[in-house]
Amino acid sequence: MEDDLVKTERLQLADEVEPTPGSAWLIGLAAWFVPGLGHLLLRRWWRALLMGGAVWVCFFVGMAMGGHLFDLYAEGSSVLLQIPPMIANVGTGILYGVSWMFDYGFRDDPAQAARATYEYGNTFLLIAGLLNYLNMLDAFDVAAGRKP
Amino acid sequence: MSLFAALASVVFGAMSKDTTRDRVIYGLKVFAEFMVIGLILGWILYFIP
Repeated sequence: MEDDLVKTERLQLADEVEPTPGSAWLIGLAAWFVPGLGHLLLRRWWRALLMGGAVWVCFFVGMAMGGHLFDLYAEGSSVLLQIPPMIANVGTGILYGVSWMFDYGFRDDPAQAARATYEYGNTFLLIAGLLNYLNMLDAFDVAAGRKP
Repeated sequence: MSLFAALASVVFGAMSKDTTRDRVIYGLKVFAEFMVIGLILGWILYFIP
């Protein structure tokens, strides 16, 4: 009996949940594509500057340190191993896209890999993408009215 | 490590909590945690061959 009541309450709550507006999905997409753009479109200037800026700084610092971007092309290692870091890198949106178009940062260069900052650079590039996924989710939540 | 901790804590702080004061405090807390844990792990790994 009690279980039935709980189920009924849940169904009622599910009916009361407002549908996510289409604009929220677009804002989320924009936030992923250009880091900071989602919050800019929402007029959250400080969040755009801080959260988007952190991603841009992280990416360029990673590049300056000689970091390596991942794609599905693998020399001497399994393609499957490339997928998780690639997903993280793809989080930077247009930054990854432009680098991919110009083939910048993807090649396995032994001289680059020998740099002391190589692994730090890789980490910064991975973190840039992952932070931008958080930015994207935050922008989506704000656009959907789930966050102030 | 400091730069990484700063950038990550800025994002974590900005997207959490409700008031600006709480966000700043949370961001500083996350930054301190990154630094302390990083230093502790660094020293532990230093002694492991």
